[in-house]
Amino acid sequence: MAAVVKRQAAVAAGVVVLGLGLMVGAMGIPSAAGYAGVGPNFLPWVVAVGLLLCGGFLAWEALSGGFRNMDDPDGADHGHWPGFVWVSAGILANAALITTIGFILSCALCFVLAVRGFTSSEGRLDLSLGAWVKDTLIGMAISAPVFWMFTQALAINLPGLTNTGWL
Amino acid sequence: MDVWNNLLQGFITAGTPINLLWALVGCTIGTAVGVLPGIGPATAVAMLLPITLKVDPTASMIFFAGIYYGAMYGGSTTSILLNTPGEAGSMVTALEGNKMAKSGRAGAALATAAIGSFVAGTIATLGVTFLAPLIATHAVKLGPPEYFLLMVLAFCTVSAVLGQSTLRGLTALGIGLAMGLVGIDQITGQARYTGGVPELMDGLEVVLIAVGLFAVAEALYAVLYQGKEVETQNKMSKVHMTRDEWKRSWPAWLRATFIGFPFGTIPAGGSEIPTFLSYATEKKLSKHPEEFGTRGAIEGVAGPEAANNAAITATLIPLLTLGIPTSNTTAILLGAFQNYGINPGPQLFDSNAGLVWALIASLYIGNVMLLILNLPLVGLWVKLLKIPKPPLYAGILIFATVGVYGMRQSAFDLVLLYAIGLLGVLMRRFSFPTAPVVVGMILGPLAEAQMRNALSIGEGHWGVFVQRPGSLFLLVVVVVVLVLPRAMAALKRRRAAG
Repeated sequence: MAAVVKRQAAVAAGVVVLGLGLMVGAMGIPSAAGYAGVGPNFLPWVVAVGLLLCGGFLAWEALSGGFRNMDDPDGADHGHWPGFVWVSAGILANAALITTIGFILSCALCFVLAVRGFTSSEGRLDLSLGAWVKDTLIGMAISAPVFWMFTQALAINLPGLTNTGWL
Repeated sequence: MDVWNNLLQGFITAGTPINLLWALVGCTIGTAVGVLPGIGPATAVAMLLPITLKVDPTASMIFFAGIYYGAMYGGSTTSILLNTPGEAGSMVTALEGNKMAKSGRAGAALATAAIGSFVAGTIATLGVTFLAPLIATHAVKLGPPEYFLLMVLAFCTVSAVLGQSTLRGLTALGIGLAMGLVGIDQITGQARYTGGVPELMDGLEVVLIAVGLFAVAEALYAVLYQGKEVETQNKMSKVHMTRDEWKRSWPAWLRATFIGFPFGTIPAGGSEIPTFLSYATEKKLSKHPEEFGTRGAIEGVAGPEAANNAAITATLIPLLTLGIPTSNTTAILLGAFQNYGINPGPQLFDSNAGLVWALIASLYIGNVMLLILNLPLVGLWVKLLKIPKPPLYAGILIFATVGVYGMRQSAFDLVLLYAIGLLGVLMRRFSFPTAPVVVGMILGPLAEAQMRNALSIGEGHWGVFVQRPGSLFLLVVVVVVLVLPRAMAALKRRRAAG
């Protein structure tokens, strides 16, 4: 149970830190109140103080028997971190590469890496070349029509590898 | 009457081939996201928000509305056939729907859900047609103090009243309000919390927050904690209701419509309460109480499904007449309006009458489309349930990328998207509600502007909120909403103890 208390206390601490951060930010905003008596810095202060109070109460709850009215979180007790790393890598690789290799390829890469993550969490990770190729093709089969719908039908800009609007 | 003329005009606009096509595509996508686990109407609408850059407002609102209530139809298919519910509002349907499916009556459950959704959706649309203009004419008289308090009321109900813990609800609201603060202050033009990053000057995009909190968080949560869960699917049977099942469904549909509709109209958001109420009512009134929880009672499916759709349709009333969203999806619809520079509120019925009435007319049309999509074609949707999880979630990530990147063409937003996804995982793991985040973020800046305008009227005195009868009344309502549930719980505890 101690681990749960620690984790909940960490969440409460996170809320407090967020409140403090907002407070520091609020100090830098001029009040410029005018007729209203409250200016652009008013709500930031309210939110900052509010979050500090919430964080304080959460910390108190965590240390005095845990968060109240909690159901057990759904799913497994422990996270499957290898899968998480795969999926995270997919999303971040996509963010890093989308402007250079284009939407279709970048999203296909994200798809392939994410599929690795989900299959590994199901305990059937397949790293064979065939599986990589298959998932790359499926990823492209999803991302290409989406890309064309946006660039061709809706004329919304998405980055491509070329300037043709097709790849 | 004026309403008929307007509605006729709306049908003419909504009935053009191109708008019918948008409605059909919206209803189809809506049903699909309702059926598919891991993606709901709020996420789907958010991902498709970039189309507001190019498509005209009437067409895209018809499209989004189709997704919104299409998802409610689709959700029932999943909750009846799978042993894990798709949408929150369908959780109650799953109680009896699952039991019915297990005793070989999946078809009857699907039929009563779809037809009940149609009946309730259509009656609720009639309600929107006649009530919304009426409310709009009265809402014109509301000033900034009243608007501010209405928004506070929405905040309170979304964060403090619904959900398990007021404290965690308020924390979530605070996070949402903080997100809404980022960017340029509407009144003075002062930059807040931008840290000098130019991307943050325009504020955080709704798409980014919604897609991050729902789609990316859902994917990350699934990979972390749900890999070992095995979903079991119930067997389909012929979609058909016997005469007796019709006789038992009708009253349940009608009762549920009248339970669901009022809940949608007040800023108390969500369809969880009316679906539970309807379920409890049907259980109490049923002539076959022995079927509840055993072989599955059809009233227990018919009622909650109808209540769900009536409530969902009715949430359009506060959205269109007051500009106040009471659920995740309506909050994002408000964001869609804002992308067009349209501010929903009482003036909407004058300034954008064409759009509003076309939207309302499309609700009637969409309900008919959805009935067809979900009854004869239900077999197609059932096939969607066979898609294995890995490609499904990985595919959702592609759609998340297109939604977020398409909005602002910024790779920086994709990194933020991941960060918001992590926040979403934490919130779900520690049971913080997400609706207050989205509602707080979208409604926060509007509420702040109304509050400061109200104080300007009162020349800086807070008394302005109690001097006007309207705002005083709303203030009392806010206090009652906050205090009453707690007082009742305390009373119950004392009674149980004594």
